[in-house]
Amino acid sequence: MLRTIALLGGFLLAGTAAAGTVTVQVRGANGAPIADAVVMVVSPHAPAGPIHFPWPNVVKQQNISFQPHVLIAPVGADVTFPNMDNVRHHVYSFSKPKKFELKLYGHEDKRTVTFDKPGVVAIGCNIHDQMSGFIVVVDTPYAAKTDASGRAVISNVPDGAATLKVWSPAIRAPDNQTAQSLNVAGSVSQVVTTP
Amino acid sequence: MIARLARAFETLHRLRFGHIRTRLAVLYTGLFAIAMLAVGIVGQVMIERHAQSSVRAELVTSGSVFDRIRALRASSLADSADVLARDFGFRAAVASGDQATILSALANLRQRVGVPYAFVVTQDGDVIGGASETLRRTVGTIPYKLAAGRHDATVTSGRAVYRVVVSPILAPTEIGWVVFAVPLDEGEMQALEKLSAIPLTATILRHDGTGWVPATGGLRLPAGAVDRFMGADGSHQDRPALIRTSEGSAIALARPLASTSDRPEAMLLLTYPLAKALAPYRSLQIGIVLSGLIGLILVLWGSDRLAGSIARPIVALDDAARALEEGSRAEVTVIGHDEIGRLAVSFNRMSAGIVERENRIAHLAFHDTLTGLPNRVLFRQQLDAALGRAVRLGEQVAVLCLDLDGFKIVNDSFGHPTGDALLRVVGEIVSARATDGIVARLSGDEFAIVLPRFEGDRPRALAQSIIDAFREPVMVSGHSILTGCSIGIAVAPGDGDDPSGLLKNADLALYRAKQDGRGVFRFFEPGLDAAARRRRQIELDLREALHKGQFRLDYQPIFDLKADRICGFEALMRWDHPTRGLVSPVEFIPVAEESGLIVAMGEWALHEACREAQRWPEDMRIAVNVSAIQFRNSGFANIVVQALSRSGLDPRRLEIEITESVFLEGSGPTLDLLHRLRALGIRIALDDFGTGYSSLSYLRSFPFDKIKIDRSFVAPIAGDASAAAIVRAIVDLAGAFHMETTAEGVEDPEQLAALRSQGCSSIQGYLFSRPLTVEGVRKLLQDQGMKRTPELDPVPIERVFAEPPKPLSAPLQAAGR
Repeated sequence: MLRTIALLGGFLLAGTAAAGTVTVQVRGANGAPIADAVVMVVSPHAPAGPIHFPWPNVVKQQNISFQPHVLIAPVGADVTFPNMDNVRHHVYSFSKPKKFELKLYGHEDKRTVTFDKPGVVAIGCNIHDQMSGFIVVVDTPYAAKTDASGRAVISNVPDGAATLKVWSPAIRAPDNQTAQSLNVAGSVSQVVTTP
Repeated sequence: MIARLARAFETLHRLRFGHIRTRLAVLYTGLFAIAMLAVGIVGQVMIERHAQSSVRAELVTSGSVFDRIRALRASSLADSADVLARDFGFRAAVASGDQATILSALANLRQRVGVPYAFVVTQDGDVIGGASETLRRTVGTIPYKLAAGRHDATVTSGRAVYRVVVSPILAPTEIGWVVFAVPLDEGEMQALEKLSAIPLTATILRHDGTGWVPATGGLRLPAGAVDRFMGADGSHQDRPALIRTSEGSAIALARPLASTSDRPEAMLLLTYPLAKALAPYRSLQIGIVLSGLIGLILVLWGSDRLAGSIARPIVALDDAARALEEGSRAEVTVIGHDEIGRLAVSFNRMSAGIVERENRIAHLAFHDTLTGLPNRVLFRQQLDAALGRAVRLGEQVAVLCLDLDGFKIVNDSFGHPTGDALLRVVGEIVSARATDGIVARLSGDEFAIVLPRFEGDRPRALAQSIIDAFREPVMVSGHSILTGCSIGIAVAPGDGDDPSGLLKNADLALYRAKQDGRGVFRFFEPGLDAAARRRRQIELDLREALHKGQFRLDYQPIFDLKADRICGFEALMRWDHPTRGLVSPVEFIPVAEESGLIVAMGEWALHEACREAQRWPEDMRIAVNVSAIQFRNSGFANIVVQALSRSGLDPRRLEIEITESVFLEGSGPTLDLLHRLRALGIRIALDDFGTGYSSLSYLRSFPFDKIKIDRSFVAPIAGDASAAAIVRAIVDLAGAFHMETTAEGVEDPEQLAALRSQGCSSIQGYLFSRPLTVEGVRKLLQDQGMKRTPELDPVPIERVFAEPPKPLSAPLQAAGR
């Protein structure tokens, strides 16, 4: 169903000419910018159809860490987990949207997991406790990560009422997520201060 | 403190002690007790401090150890929890909410680690694990309350205190927590206590909202007792301190146990009772007290002994001084050469000196310095004693009063030193004879003897032996002196039974002996006393008589046998006593002489006689008797001159009659006076010739104008040839010296005839006329000339005056001077 909505969004996007850029600044409770936060705009006017992001659906294991730390992936995407290190990794997730376990695999070995439900999937390595990563599975085409300055820019968001969601592990709230309504009319700038 | 000691010392000093020994002992013991007290106090303070500080150190150490143990336990628990939390299967179980698996894993963990309670708290706040609901509720909130980075906390749940250790379950993000809860109960505390080197008590305190209350153990704390460790304002002290507990004072150290918040909910209190801390020192304390007591007893004993050794000589001195004060001879034994020894030496010297002086003073007080014999005082005492015993035992006591005869002559002739020497010799002589009595010198030449317990006729024999002893001259200072003595004796109880009466009566007897011619002894007779009284009365009356003019002069004519007419009168003192009538001169003249009244009486008589004689015809002489005492009086010559000049009587009409007694006390001054009177023209007659000494040397030494023949020769002249011979000898003697003679007491014609035949110049007596009053004289003188006594042969009266005046020098030459 979500996929249907996404497809519908893509269709709407293509079909309407009126769209704007949403710029979101995410700050912590202390006012500090939060990097790697995921900003999502859920718009009823989004065109239907498969969602594509300009980044690959890849989470590399490199230098005993996940690269990127946070990956925004569309629903149904096949995310590959190439091991770039010389050691083996045992990638797993107990998150509800997608529970999986990639048992020990070595260098240049590549595994692929399909994320068919939207939600946040926390991934870790059973061997290396310090390895932690997130795959945010979204069903909206309008999503982006904040940069080091806590800024995220989402373009081609259709005008009209929408819901702005921000997710970050730093956010102390259920599901580490906040949501607020947003009226998109051309370019919009929004500051989100997380709890 | 110091001030207080000084005050006590002062008090100690001010206490009055009867003995140096007590004072020293108390002082030393007191000082030692104070010192011991100070040592004890310091010791006690040091002990307490030391005990406290060692306990404090131990508490601090124990506290640190407990901190470490707790930390270790925390990390060990955390490790155990971590192991579980990181287990992949467990994480999977938790992530998938597999309760059965989780519970079995927790049970397994509890068993392995040994914790009573283990839980899993999920992100949703669910608490998985078996425990009471209260504990589960408490545990469920802890992961959220615990600050980041902390894994354990101590929290209260209900009335219990739990240590909780939290370990997150990472997958890889937190999906829950493993929580261990360990109750901090009695057992935990006992386990802690066992870790300490000292038997301290560990107690968990919890804050019940108002204050700290013990959560474990039997310790009870008064409210606010531990507030100092963790105040309401959050201040906290981690040094040990002294607190009050229900079991007394205790040294305590508190460790706040961190809760989830800033404010601890529980504390670990380590306590150690002070009594227990001091217990190891009990023996030391007892030792100090015991040694102090022993020391005190030793000091008391020692100082008492020392004080005794110091005080003993002083006590001896004190006793000796007291004895000396009471008058007994006191000597102390000299011990050592210190001050007290020297003091003892000085004291002995002083004591000896005092005794010696006392003896001397006593001797002086009771003895005569000249003879060394007892004086009047001692004599009275001895007499007293002798009389007292005599009364008790019915004995007799005799008192002999002894007086030298003519001692004054000795003194005047040989000087006082010789007189004194004589007295000493007399003292020796008397003492030598009166060995059974007590000889005393009462005054001057007066001695007395007490004869106690004599037998028979001893007083008489003694008196006689003394008198006999003085019959021979004694040799004194190279002079051979013959002196007699008179003795009066009185015997108790007959002659008086008190010393004064007895002595007075002995004196009266002595007086009688003197009167009876010296060189004799007399016993007291009662008459003597009466006579003496009468004499005293006469003496008193004489003074009054002199004052009131009770005296008068009578005049006895002196008849010149050759001229056959009255040639003069002899003035005779008469005393007309107002109550007793006419008193005999024999009675009052001696009294007047003894009392010295004779001088004044004689002066009066001289004046009166001269005044009266002035009225008579110019050929009438007046003869006045002059007593030896009167004559020796230094003013006598002046009195005579005065009487003459006042009356205007021709000195040649005055005839002074003296007796030999004027020569008794030295003839030099007497002769000088006689010559001076003679130079005035006054005639001198020697009265009562033939009695007394009748020393012819007097006749030689002074040319008397007349010798009066005593009536004792005249009375028997007619019938007794020897008497007649004496009268004749006297008349012849007088004639040889160109002196006149007057016979006294001529009472009958036969006597007159005899006298006339023997050539006596003149007569006096009843035959011719009794003594006449003034008026009688005047009448007789008027009749003179026309009437002559018919029995008398007419003798030319011119014969008396026909003789040329005797040259003054002639008698002196005749006397061979």
